[in-house]
Amino acid sequence: MRKEMRKKGQEEMVGFILIIVIVAVILLIFLGFALRNSKEVEIKSYEVQGFLQSVLQYTSDCKDALGFLSIQDLIFSCYKDEGCLNEKSACEVLNSTLEEIIKESWAVGEDTPTRGYELRILPEAMGIFLKKGNVTKNYRGASRDFTKRGVDYDVLFKLYN
Amino acid sequence: MVIKETRWFLLNFLKLRNPIFQLPPMKSQLLRNRGQMKIQQTAFMLIAVTLFFVLVGIFVLVFMFSGLRQSATLLEEENAMLLVTKLANSPEFACMSSFGSSKLSCVDADKVMMLKEQIDKYSGFWGVAEIKIRKVYPTNGEECDFGNYPNCGVIELYSEDVNKLPAVSNFVSLCWKENSDSGIYAKCELARLMVKSEDKR
Repeated sequence: MRKEMRKKGQEEMVGFILIIVIVAVILLIFLGFALRNSKEVEIKSYEVQGFLQSVLQYTSDCKDALGFLSIQDLIFSCYKDEGCLNEKSACEVLNSTLEEIIKESWAVGEDTPTRGYELRILPEAMGIFLKKGNVTKNYRGASRDFTKRGVDYDVLFKLYN
Repeated sequence: MVIKETRWFLLNFLKLRNPIFQLPPMKSQLLRNRGQMKIQQTAFMLIAVTLFFVLVGIFVLVFMFSGLRQSATLLEEENAMLLVTKLANSPEFACMSSFGSSKLSCVDADKVMMLKEQIDKYSGFWGVAEIKIRKVYPTNGEECDFGNYPNCGVIELYSEDVNKLPAVSNFVSLCWKENSDSGIYAKCELARLMVKSEDKR
């Protein structure tokens, strides 16, 4: 009688452990799916959109035969690898101006809401890629695209929160 | 007992037929008040199932409300930006075609300075309590007047003496005509158009 009860108790324990294992496996699978789905989340931002639009209209220090170039014109010149009248290259001026503008416009750092930023200008061949701070999963972003003489340009700006 | 019931439920659900999962038969001599026990088990199971669904419900609600808060923030930002954009593109502020091709979110600083002189005529015209334009790049803290314009940082266009809500702002390009050796050209800098509404609470 006692032997039979002990056997029953063992069976109970084994069954209980098996159920716990099954439930744990199911939970792990769910957790795995939940974590895998947490990709980068872009929040559409009107502020970033306004920033990008205004930056493209900014008049830079780069002057050519026709006058001072806006950032948008500077992008065209940079793509064609042209220079300014002060003998600086258009890409050099573009890089430094954009860096300065972003520095003055957004407070980027560990103790601020904006942890980092990324600015990329396409076509990739121009090599304009600015990055500072940390890259996180959540960001506010905007892009502006335009075309000139069959070349498609795209300016992408992301502010990581 | 709850464990035993849960096991019965799971085993039936999973349709497992392994003898290891089969529970030992309940003998009447071991359980005198079998009926009472059954009711107790069912009650426990019902409580457990209810608790489970309540927890799932709370989880779902938290997810839903987090999305709602994000949408509300976005909507608030959108409204603020629309107000600022509406102002920036209104005929009193907009560059129109004064600087070559027509530009969006472009404020004509020359126009704004002249408007500042006539601002008494525009009292209550825009339905806001304060309008200010602050240069972002290059920075300059000085307030603009006809003596230092355009080498200044802030154009305080309009301000009512009322309680105001925090400012909403968006980036604009602030443009004006500048003199150089080669003639007059359009110069645009980066600025923020800041608007405050009246706090009516």
